[in-house]
Amino acid sequence: MVKEYNKGSKIEYRKRDILYTAGLWLVSLILPDPHLPYRREFIKKRDFFYLGALLLLPLILSDRLVYLMVLAGIYAIVALGLSLFLGYAGQISLGHAAFFGIGAYTTAILTTRYGVPPLGAFGASALAAAVCAYLIGKPILKLKGYFLALATLGFGEIFLVMVRETRSLTGGVSGIFGIPWFSVAGFVFDTSLEQYYLVWGVLIALVLFAKNLVRSKMGRALLAVAASEDAAASVGINVAQVKVRVFVLSAAFAGLAGSLFACVLSTANPEGFGLGLSVLIVMMVIMGGMGNLYGPIFAAIFLTWLTDVLGGYQEYSLPIYGVILILLLIFFPDGVGTRLNERLIYLISYWGRKRRRERVDI
Amino acid sequence: MTPWVHIPQLLAAGITMGAIYALVALGFVIIVRASQIINFAQGEFVMLGGVVTFFFIKGAGLPYPLAALAAVLVVICIGLLLHLLVIYPLRKASVLILIMATVGASIVLSNTSALLFGTLPKALPPFSGDLPLEIGDIRIAPQGLWVFGATFFLFFVLYLLSHRTLLGKAMEASSTDPLGADLTGIARNFMVFLAFGVSAGVGAIAGVLVTPLFYTSYNAGTLLGFKGFIAAVVGGWGKNSGAILGGFVLGIVESTSIAFIPAGYKDAVAFVVLLLILYFRPKGILGSPYIDSRRW
Repeated sequence: MVKEYNKGSKIEYRKRDILYTAGLWLVSLILPDPHLPYRREFIKKRDFFYLGALLLLPLILSDRLVYLMVLAGIYAIVALGLSLFLGYAGQISLGHAAFFGIGAYTTAILTTRYGVPPLGAFGASALAAAVCAYLIGKPILKLKGYFLALATLGFGEIFLVMVRETRSLTGGVSGIFGIPWFSVAGFVFDTSLEQYYLVWGVLIALVLFAKNLVRSKMGRALLAVAASEDAAASVGINVAQVKVRVFVLSAAFAGLAGSLFACVLSTANPEGFGLGLSVLIVMMVIMGGMGNLYGPIFAAIFLTWLTDVLGGYQEYSLPIYGVILILLLIFFPDGVGTRLNERLIYLISYWGRKRRRERVDI
Repeated sequence: MTPWVHIPQLLAAGITMGAIYALVALGFVIIVRASQIINFAQGEFVMLGGVVTFFFIKGAGLPYPLAALAAVLVVICIGLLLHLLVIYPLRKASVLILIMATVGASIVLSNTSALLFGTLPKALPPFSGDLPLEIGDIRIAPQGLWVFGATFFLFFVLYLLSHRTLLGKAMEASSTDPLGADLTGIARNFMVFLAFGVSAGVGAIAGVLVTPLFYTSYNAGTLLGFKGFIAAVVGGWGKNSGAILGGFVLGIVESTSIAFIPAGYKDAVAFVVLLLILYFRPKGILGSPYIDSRRW
């Protein structure tokens, strides 16, 4: 019996079949699984509305705002990846700017020193960030809370020092200049408008992928790990492995974003990849709401716009920025859009229930 | 010339640096012993201690000791305000929100200081002259001895506070067993409030002592804060003695590393030490009452 079964299941591949399957596998990442009952929910009406709005936005925006939307899209990619790690799996990372930087520097070095085409560098950036995340994630992801935050922050600082000191490779403090525009098969993305469609196209593909992921077995495992690691382990989830996998995945997202960042700005220097960027990205995820894929994208647009507006106030910008961060955290700790209706009702009835609010929490 | 020639001098420098890290680490430990919160703005208290003293001497014309005292008081007020405005509204928030809020507070404090006092690095005169003491081949700045003495003095004071006064015991109780503290009638939030004041005071004293040794600029606090935190983790999280030991270990490791690797990598050494200690012994050298090593 067993022998026959083995014989029957043996599949012979031609060489080109591997090519087809690789392509099919890539497509399957962003297509909804037809065998699952949620396929009607996968794309809702509001998704078409968002898509239409995205396509038409450049018509009404000024050049400056289109450029800001390009940046926002890049940060949204990082925030989307971090949302999987932070919002879904409930871990903390203050080191994602380092993965962003690794992506940017991989692209910068490969395209300027070795003449690799940008599309190849794009893939290599994700791979480099993922490998770094795997190496660093294996030991440190057993930590929790403050200590995980500190360990990832430490990784970010080590990355910055390495970039500043290995001048022969990364150009030190001044960085690398003259990174070529992103190009696919001879088509060069050299205007803000083309870059806008490039970045948001990549983002849409990644959103579809993330949507698939959070509804898969892995996505359920992430939620279980966030709820309780002990309970997750007791139902047979390999907690350590799940955490490393989602860390690697979110780092790969950051690497892709970093690669796009390097191609869009055509420079890479260590100033942009410090703790400030990590804080900004974590803020995007918090503002967007934990366990939410669209929230971080909206938050990315808002915070990119905010930092640009504040930039006009010169030396007052950072204190105001810090105060806004603290106020957002105090008044919207669960994200701005989370349970908006209930919270509005709560706010309206706030003063009426002042006495009852003073109960003891144990 | 082998790098070993410089080791004694680097050891002396490392002990001075270690005393500074120990002072900063003590600030973290005070808050953790009262509330399990880690204040990422701790380094800014150190920076403000130095910068505000400088302002009182140069701007207001106060004599040195009086200016230092006034600066410490001002920073204590800032610490109390930080608790009232940021930590108290977020007392039930998750760890992530608290981290982000204290990081936000640190951004506000450092950049407001840049706004008020300028971005130029500030230097104060040493307490007792510039002339270095020479012991054999080793040169020690007298200010280093001041820092060293102050570290152990503050350690002693904090020991008295937590072991000999009811207030200190109440502070510790509110961290180790919040429910029990509530039931015995300890005003837990007030204890955290006081702990922030004490911690800011220790940070400011560290700032006053450090500024004669190094130039203190508006952005010096963040890195110093992280290194103090690393010192507290290395020595044993949540222990005063651990903070002191961790500070000296970190200072000496960082200082002697200059003999073997390029000086530019010095800032990375502390973080490498952090990753190593978190991986191999998360509860630190002396062990920690708050971390159960089996679960980490």
